[in-house]
Amino acid sequence: MRKRSLKLQSQAQYVSLVLPGMILFTVGVIIPMFMGLRYSFTSWDGFTKNLPWNGLDNYIKILHDPDVLNAWWFTIKFTFWNTIIQNVFALLLAVAIDGAIKGKKLYRTIFFIPCLISPVVAGFIWMRLYGTVLPALNGILKTNINFMLFGSGSTVLKGFLIANNWQWIGYWMLIYIAALQSIPGDLYEAARVDGASSILQFFKITIPMLAPAFTICIVGITVGSLKVYDLLVASTGGGPGRASNSIIYLTYNNAINDRQYGYGSAMSTSLIVVLLIVAAVQISWLRKKEVQI
Amino acid sequence: MKDKLITSETKKKYTLGTFCVQILMSIVGLFFLIPIFMVFSYSFKTKLELYIGNPLALPKSPSWANYVTAFQKLNMGTTFFNTLFYTAVSVVILALFSGATAWAIARNRSKFFKFSYFYFIVGILIPYQALFLPIYIMGYTLHLTNTYYGIILMYIATGMSFGVFLMTSFMNTIPIEIEEAARIDGCSIYQTYFRIVLPLIKPAMATLVIMQSFTIWNDYLMASLFASDNNLQTLTVNLQMLFSQETNDYTTAMAAIVISFVPICILFIALQKYFIKGMTVGAVKG
Repeated sequence: MRKRSLKLQSQAQYVSLVLPGMILFTVGVIIPMFMGLRYSFTSWDGFTKNLPWNGLDNYIKILHDPDVLNAWWFTIKFTFWNTIIQNVFALLLAVAIDGAIKGKKLYRTIFFIPCLISPVVAGFIWMRLYGTVLPALNGILKTNINFMLFGSGSTVLKGFLIANNWQWIGYWMLIYIAALQSIPGDLYEAARVDGASSILQFFKITIPMLAPAFTICIVGITVGSLKVYDLLVASTGGGPGRASNSIIYLTYNNAINDRQYGYGSAMSTSLIVVLLIVAAVQISWLRKKEVQI
Repeated sequence: MKDKLITSETKKKYTLGTFCVQILMSIVGLFFLIPIFMVFSYSFKTKLELYIGNPLALPKSPSWANYVTAFQKLNMGTTFFNTLFYTAVSVVILALFSGATAWAIARNRSKFFKFSYFYFIVGILIPYQALFLPIYIMGYTLHLTNTYYGIILMYIATGMSFGVFLMTSFMNTIPIEIEEAARIDGCSIYQTYFRIVLPLIKPAMATLVIMQSFTIWNDYLMASLFASDNNLQTLTVNLQMLFSQETNDYTTAMAAIVISFVPICILFIALQKYFIKGMTVGAVKG
């Protein structure tokens, strides 16, 4: 009897260890998520006490609002290209650093340094590079390359892709390096004995063994790109025109600046739904690949 | 990490192909360094050089003048202290809470703890930026905006998912026997956590603290929503204001960037071992 009450007591103590974090997480993340869902069915302006219910109107409006569709289109293109470019280059750099070259630590640090800069600052730096510094190269090289990537709606995505990949390739590279180093060396030795070329070894051993790292990096880059906001703040501010409005940038403008809290909440909620669906599809697909190996 | 790099270096042969890779990597490395180099170069230039000099040239007569101006314009004393304060307090509490949660989850089999794990992990796929609006409304309703504790609470709340994930993956590596011995000697759960478990999970704690420090130090959106008052602002928010005010004179802005970047860079170089460990835990465990 005494033992049982002791056990219950210790269970309660364990629960009390979980509770502080859980309460904060609930108040700061979970409840807001449901609040956002609720506001998304209203036309609330943030001032009034009562919430004017308007059903699915916000969601229908989203589907017909050219600004929202435009922001989604920019965000999707940005995410798609980031996922491809960042994965490919991070893996290539990781393979090179994991190879026989000298000065591995130096390269690793150089590629990683941009990750330490705040994205707001990175956006500003690249705006200055595109605007003033790089065009001077044309004078020296006697070329006519268009470096003003933030200046026109047709090149602004390219400009952000360069800036964003410059900043984050090093981060994912580190994950690939660690995964490469965890591949047992005798796998390669066995392959060499069997006479497999190094290219064959790369595709038959390295790539399959990296499957868990691919899952982490692909999902991580996708989620990280869909939330793009900071990078735009001090560079184009969503411009020129509305060409580089991301979905969060537009939500911020609609909600905080124009006080359309209901409409903004609907945009937030749709982003979360997209995030969860995309991540779920990616994870289940990539996990299946992992198992096959 | 360091040791592994060295051993793999001695194993592999340096061939002509490796030499070509080395050249290629150096070129890519230069591309990565150009923006950083540009920031440093501009931070020492005079305003005159902005208009007449070659943008690619080095500063003619390097001066610290921009740094002095930046120091005053950034309201350095206050913003630097604020950023440091929010970051330090948030990450310490976050680490203690995540550690406690992860330990309790790892040591119990009942439904509550299994549920807790999934409850926290759901948040890993939802970056707080996607929830910023309802988080802001929640903060506003609870009168947490423009208070120093409001922003700290929100940083802890939004960091819990990653914290619990990271800590739980480390928990399996610590032996249960020491804890059991402590419990038999009459230690309560809390004493066991603080005296036995915390020292054992110190490396994991260091990793979490460092990773979250970088995130919070560089954060913009939460800081701009919850700490917009002059005396509550963080470095990043202040930098952004400086960028938008001084659209023509960006030598000051560049100096300000260097000032905000140097502390974090030193911290990274000193502690990169832990940082890399934290990033890779997911990749290696799968």
